[in-house]
Amino acid sequence: MGLKASPPGPAGHDDPAAPALCTRAAAGDQGAWDEIVERYAPMVWSICTRFRLSDRDLEDVAQNVWLLLVEQLGKLPEPAALAGWLAATTRRECLRAATASRRPEPLEPRDAGVTGEEVIMAERNAALRAALAELPASCQSLMDMLVSDPPYSYAAISTALGIPVESIGLLRARCLERIRESSALLGLAEIGGNRPEGDPGA
Amino acid sequence: MLEDWDDEQLLAALGEAIKARAAVPSWFVQTGKNAYAWHNIDAELAQLTYDSRTDADAMAVARSETASIRALTFTSAHLSIELEVADGSLLGQVVSPQAGTLETHTKAGVTTSPVDEAGFFAVKPIPPGPFLLRFRTTDGAYVMTGWITL
Repeated sequence: MGLKASPPGPAGHDDPAAPALCTRAAAGDQGAWDEIVERYAPMVWSICTRFRLSDRDLEDVAQNVWLLLVEQLGKLPEPAALAGWLAATTRRECLRAATASRRPEPLEPRDAGVTGEEVIMAERNAALRAALAELPASCQSLMDMLVSDPPYSYAAISTALGIPVESIGLLRARCLERIRESSALLGLAEIGGNRPEGDPGA
Repeated sequence: MLEDWDDEQLLAALGEAIKARAAVPSWFVQTGKNAYAWHNIDAELAQLTYDSRTDADAMAVARSETASIRALTFTSAHLSIELEVADGSLLGQVVSPQAGTLETHTKAGVTTSPVDEAGFFAVKPIPPGPFLLRFRTTDGAYVMTGWITL
């Protein structure tokens, strides 16, 4: 288990949504807790997948990472740096589990720590998903189909969503505009320089 | 930042965010949500301070005849819980020695075992899956371990 109170986070970045969620969860709001888990479980999972852990070990790691956070909710020195704290805690629990399981092969082939950039990406992803969740269902469905891999054709989207092909471009632009304006993305402006692939740069 | 992105860049970022979430098994997320059940449980969380499998000193022990014994120690500010796996049971010792009650929490539920005056307890059989121990002192204070799978 390796239950340590507050490991140093890999990033000095702040997630503006985290302190309010921590405060609400510490006060007994299960909904706020669920939101914290929804936001950061993808990052916790992604760190775990670098280690060759069995499902059983993965479950132990998940249980302990979140148990530690439950215990620390009201005591985190920097709740805005929650993602960094979770990243460091997850990595430590994974290392412990990997060592204890005594696998003969190398245990952490791809692990070189968790970088601040990864934590920032996780925070950005969480904010984008939160912004997406605020959109009308029609926008959410459209975005899901547009980012699907392989992509759907406009004809397929038109059939699935019941909108004319010629309206898809406009709806797409409107939905993206709503995401840009979403309060879920407030504060993310500080995350500069970490654009998705294909970005020619500022 | 996002204001400066064109639609293609924003869409690519959304795609990454959705993909990252879709990769997570639902049980993994549910495990996280379930952890909230421990919120406001008035117990001190003891840290794992020794594990015979991971402790560097264990390498020396591994060559001795006690190699097969798994030993763990959890330490809180007020007491330690030492565990040893032997002959199909989990033997434990509370330090400093004191009587109390030990709860073994598993997914299936909770079982209790007495802790004698010498701080000794036994959990039989060893829980087959993840479990967590919570010790209640005679004063009514609680100390609990993190999740363990043996």
